[in-house]
Amino acid sequence: MKQEPAVSGKKSSIFRRSDLAMVLTILIGFVAVMFVIELAGGQFKFFTANNWLNILMQNAVVGIMAMGMTVVMIAGGIDLSVGYLASLGGIFIAKGVVDWGIPIVPAVILGILICVGLEAMLGAIIARLEVEPFIITLGGSIAFRGIALLMCQSREVVMSGQLEGFKTNLIEGAKAPDGLSMTLPIYVVIFIVIAVIVWWVLKYTKYGRRIYAVGANPSAAYLAGINVKNIKLSSYIINGLLVGLASVLLLSRVGTAIITNGERMEIDVIAAVVIGGVAMSGGKGNAMGTFLGVILLGAITNGMTVLKLQSEWQFVAKGAIIIAAVAAGAISSRIAARGEIRQQKQEALAEQAATAEDK
Amino acid sequence: MAEEILKLSNISKTFPGVKALNGIQFSLNAGEVHCICGENGAGKSTLIKIISGAYQPDVDGAIYFEGKQVKLDPFSAMNLGIQTIYQEHNVFETLSITENIFAGMEITKGGVMQKQEMEQKTRDVLEYLHSDLKPDQIVGELSSGEQKIVEIAKALVFDRKVIILDEPTASFSASEIDNLLEIVHKVKARGMGIVYISHHLDEVFRIADKITVLRDGQYIKTIGVDETDEPHLIRDMVGRDASAFYSREFYPKGETVLEVRNLTGNGVKNVSFKVNRGEIVGFAGMVGSGRSELMTLLFGGAEKLTGEVRVLGKKVHYRNPSDAIKNKMCYITEDRQHTGLFLIHTIARNTLIANMVNTKGSFINPKQEMEVGNDFVKKLGTKAKDASVLAGNLSGGNQQKVVLAKWFNTDGEIFIFDEPTRGIDVGAKQEIYQIMMDLLKQGKAIIMVSSDMPEVVSMSDRVMVMKNGELVGELNRDEVSEENILEYSIGGKKI
Repeated sequence: MKQEPAVSGKKSSIFRRSDLAMVLTILIGFVAVMFVIELAGGQFKFFTANNWLNILMQNAVVGIMAMGMTVVMIAGGIDLSVGYLASLGGIFIAKGVVDWGIPIVPAVILGILICVGLEAMLGAIIARLEVEPFIITLGGSIAFRGIALLMCQSREVVMSGQLEGFKTNLIEGAKAPDGLSMTLPIYVVIFIVIAVIVWWVLKYTKYGRRIYAVGANPSAAYLAGINVKNIKLSSYIINGLLVGLASVLLLSRVGTAIITNGERMEIDVIAAVVIGGVAMSGGKGNAMGTFLGVILLGAITNGMTVLKLQSEWQFVAKGAIIIAAVAAGAISSRIAARGEIRQQKQEALAEQAATAEDK
Repeated sequence: MAEEILKLSNISKTFPGVKALNGIQFSLNAGEVHCICGENGAGKSTLIKIISGAYQPDVDGAIYFEGKQVKLDPFSAMNLGIQTIYQEHNVFETLSITENIFAGMEITKGGVMQKQEMEQKTRDVLEYLHSDLKPDQIVGELSSGEQKIVEIAKALVFDRKVIILDEPTASFSASEIDNLLEIVHKVKARGMGIVYISHHLDEVFRIADKITVLRDGQYIKTIGVDETDEPHLIRDMVGRDASAFYSREFYPKGETVLEVRNLTGNGVKNVSFKVNRGEIVGFAGMVGSGRSELMTLLFGGAEKLTGEVRVLGKKVHYRNPSDAIKNKMCYITEDRQHTGLFLIHTIARNTLIANMVNTKGSFINPKQEMEVGNDFVKKLGTKAKDASVLAGNLSGGNQQKVVLAKWFNTDGEIFIFDEPTRGIDVGAKQEIYQIMMDLLKQGKAIIMVSSDMPEVVSMSDRVMVMKNGELVGELNRDEVSEENILEYSIGGKKI
């Protein structure tokens, strides 16, 4: 008698089939709710081309940092220091240009290199000594804050428009249907290009595969010939590069270097990455999910502002949405697992019946 | 005659699909050391877990404690006075000896700990045992031998009636073993009953009053220590019937692909051997004898201290597994979930990961990756709809096939199989053996570490026996038998 092989994993919930499903579902759900509200109100403020460009503008900096965090977290790490590192990078550049008279281009390059160097240092400690990234980067965060405050003597450094170039409008003169002129600053394009590059590297290169392997199971990765320590270190270096770039764009947007620029940004960054489907335990997720996570969190903040919700309540709502989203994902996969067991049970019963008939 | 404390009558234990114990008889008297002997997988650990209440036996057996029938769970076992000292240490490393002994059972007066009283009791017991340990020493700073003594002292402080020692001397030095056996004698003199389990027959003969032999979950016999000797005991432990063995084909041996000379490191001492094309060299020995450590060392996963490794006649030096893979080595580890597979990744990704060090270029073509994955799914008969299934969703046998696919994809020549069929059902076992035969037919060489005695005996061309990190015996095909292997691995015999 030829037996049909039992096939595993053929059915799974929508949340499990794709890493993107959770964030997409919530995004669509949120947009639908906004649509209903605005339709009932008879006035469209959220659903305008300008507003969506706004969302991209408001979140480009967080988005670039989230791309770096995606690489770090897929490799099994985490980085709590990115917020103050972005402040530090900006303060260094502004200080260099305003007080030390360094030309803008070398100042920017130096600022980025400092971010890369500091992240490389943290990454080396984490990778070589195999210590908890949570604590090491927490320590880094506190130290970076101190260095930044020392550099600017706890004051702000005002730029005089040296970084305006990053705000160049690429669609100068374009008009939205409602007649308002539209802006697409160059830094939004930079964000999108970085997102595509990170997505591509993670998906289509050996290096990307190794990042996933190290995050999923470091011992198996080591025995499969992967240099686990170097891969971990490299993830922090990439993160440093992207945080450095983000600090430049942040400075260009704000125009003033001050410690609060990047303060607590790591919370938004990690929230976006996790809601985008990257596993806290590593090895899972992708840049597309992170992109959607960034847009989702941005859209929520923006939508509530458009609805004139008090900012205190915005925090409550945003937090609740994150908790609900992750909990819903877990509930869905539980339901799917139960469904799978039920199906296996039916198959087993059918098989029993079949053998009974044979006899 | 001494009074009987514990009696097990007709105890069986069934796990889904496996009968781990069948009709066990066991009796323990006060002031007696009763050893349980058997190979790996004979059922010793299961039996201990039943006595300590961790497992419930099947309903047809009965346990009597001081003549009364009892039902044991971990709490009632402890309350009756049964203390189990497991192989792995169950101590609180940051606490002192006294705190360890009284953890959870502190002596208090009106809610206040009576520190002095507890220290005094600890001191009395340590003195009785002639131990140099002091009650306020931190347990984490003690050697593993001393930690064992702390656990035994605990049983004395609380006046337990039965102590179970599971492989107490694993990783002990010779003097620590002497010391421990001395202490067991003292404990016995207090009238406690001791259940003692050890792979080392010399220890058993030094300490036992009675010996009970198990084999494949069956009760074989209970015998007084003066009624038997090492060869007889070994014969009792082996002696399966022929149906437990597999028959395989043999192929002509080719050139030597791997030669190891005086390899030392990672707990392995001075090991030398050769492996030729077309043969399986089995590595036998008790759990903890250094076999897996040797394989990790061979694969570059641990630092080599001295010695040399030659692949195809050429001297090689591995600094890490990556170098080993480049030199045609493959390592199917014993723990596929933790060191073999990426459970949250697809079969296809798992299949390609090890060969990345051998291929040029930096890019991945996901389509091609899926094709290679699917190819291996078909070739090895992995039960999955295609290579896009996550490795974690497969059964044990199919996961093992994914591990094999990962290595077959590297064009390796030397395959290290560490426990190739652990946790795999009988049907899948046969398939894995067939795959190993196919490798031999292609002229590959296999090193197989296995604790499954029928597997070692039936599958190996030659068997190397390890004990305490050393190679203690080499058996050719015509000498390979369970008795011979056991004589080297637990008996006193040496090359």
